[in-house]
Amino acid sequence: MYKIAVASSDGINIDRTFGATEYFTIYEVSENDCRELEKREYISDTKAVSENCGSGCNKGCGSGTGCGGGADKKVELISDCRCVVCTKIGFNIQKQLERRAISAFDVGCTVAEALEKITDYYAKIDSHTSLRK
Amino acid sequence: MAKLLDKQRYKCALAAMQTVQAITRAIPILHSGPGCAQKLSDGIGSSGYFSPNIFPCTSINEKDVVFGGVKKLDSTIENALKVIDADLYVVLTGCIPEIVGDDVGETVSHYEDAEKPVIFASTAGFKGNNYRGHEQVINAITEQLLEPSEEKEEGLVNIWADVPYQDLFWLGNYRELAKLVEELGLKPNVIFGYGNGIENIKKIPKAQFNLLVSPWVSLTNVKKLEQKLGTPYLYIPTLPVGAFETSRFLRTVGEFAGVDSEKVERIISEHEKYYYYLIERYADLFLETRVMAKQFSVIGDAQYTLGITKFLVNDLGLIPAQQFITDDTPKQYREAIKAEFENLNYGLKAEAVFETDSYKIHEAVKAHDYHGYPLILGGYYDKEVTNELDGHFLNITWPVQDKVVLDESYVGYQGGIKLIEDIYSVAVQRWN
Repeated sequence: MYKIAVASSDGINIDRTFGATEYFTIYEVSENDCRELEKREYISDTKAVSENCGSGCNKGCGSGTGCGGGADKKVELISDCRCVVCTKIGFNIQKQLERRAISAFDVGCTVAEALEKITDYYAKIDSHTSLRK
Repeated sequence: MAKLLDKQRYKCALAAMQTVQAITRAIPILHSGPGCAQKLSDGIGSSGYFSPNIFPCTSINEKDVVFGGVKKLDSTIENALKVIDADLYVVLTGCIPEIVGDDVGETVSHYEDAEKPVIFASTAGFKGNNYRGHEQVINAITEQLLEPSEEKEEGLVNIWADVPYQDLFWLGNYRELAKLVEELGLKPNVIFGYGNGIENIKKIPKAQFNLLVSPWVSLTNVKKLEQKLGTPYLYIPTLPVGAFETSRFLRTVGEFAGVDSEKVERIISEHEKYYYYLIERYADLFLETRVMAKQFSVIGDAQYTLGITKFLVNDLGLIPAQQFITDDTPKQYREAIKAEFENLNYGLKAEAVFETDSYKIHEAVKAHDYHGYPLILGGYYDKEVTNELDGHFLNITWPVQDKVVLDESYVGYQGGIKLIEDIYSVAVQRWN
């Protein structure tokens, strides 16, 4: 059982970048089922960011600079997920995700297609079956 | 049970990028993970107009495994065509895209109308080693670039031999083979090395015949060329090293090409005179000192193991111990190659062992009684074991760590002399 975070504004297409998305739709995948679990909203808190950031960037979250402000919080928000799917993602955030062993997939397709491919992929690697087609 | 292969002497098929690199102004486009080119581009002598550090690469990652990497490949080819000024682009696939099933052929077909030719070769690691990868690249050229030609050029001969870069001496060897063919009054055509590129590829269909100098590598290539272009081929399994084999080589090629045999004999005799003049002058060293090993082993790919074994027996009169062929020769060729080793002068026979595991090779070398200092010609991996046995060691096959070769060659009369120099240079150091 694992979770997938998806950045989509309409639940049909993946249409949000990691930085721009306001919430993530969390899907829970079990052996033979994949269902929507919840939506996790990200509440921008500019004040808190500028205080916590420490790097003096003052730009707040999602600037893609990975300054440790909002981006960090967003990573925190999906820290129990196995991967995140969005249209684009910055290099530094990717590194932060990597540190938590969360994969990032930057793709532009439908949510259904992404979920199908990702669950198929994880099912195969978890059961040590070849990915060979 | 899982098997451990100790110090193997080849790389994966994607190392065929070196075959592409050897064609002047041709560049590989790698559809592989990041770092493949770095790992495969060992050694020195691969810088230049294009070097492995700038080979375009899709650097595929987990996302491309899940969602397919063809989009990335498409943009990589598109942009390579924009920013790299080359004559030929060869897309090579690594193991990951082939496992997940990227349709590379389809993607490459988008570039059929590109100004410069773009072709692709399947070089997934699980399909074999770089000897097979080399064949794949030549097959790709044959299938995707060449068309049968009505017009034939009298005396034009395509030469196929070494695997570039895998063999340290590839450039010198090709040049020397070309020189020998030229002396017969023929026109050699080689696609690898200095000044040889797309124009030479275009000339392939016009050749009178293909000359293959190799025990097995590229045999499938010349067969395919015959099938598609109707060009016959002459297959000479032994790399001509030294007078005996080189004279035989000239006679065989001359006869096949219809060169007047008197002319061939005249050329041979001139070369042999000089060759034996040198041998005579140093006969004191060869005969009167007891420094040279009585028995030898060659550890290398089929080409060198066979060529050098024949040279050391037929020309130098040494006795062969076991000879180790490390290139994972496909099974269908093994019997014929073994038979070549049993066809030596003075009724001698050598035992050819096909073995890719260096541990087993070294155990066999240690177990054999060489009747004195062993002479081992092989890869750098064999230096230590030779030292342990207090033998003479010469690094001639991959991997090479202790010598720099620019355009030296062991082919031909001159190559035989060079090999004698190298071997005795090692041997005389024992005294001095």
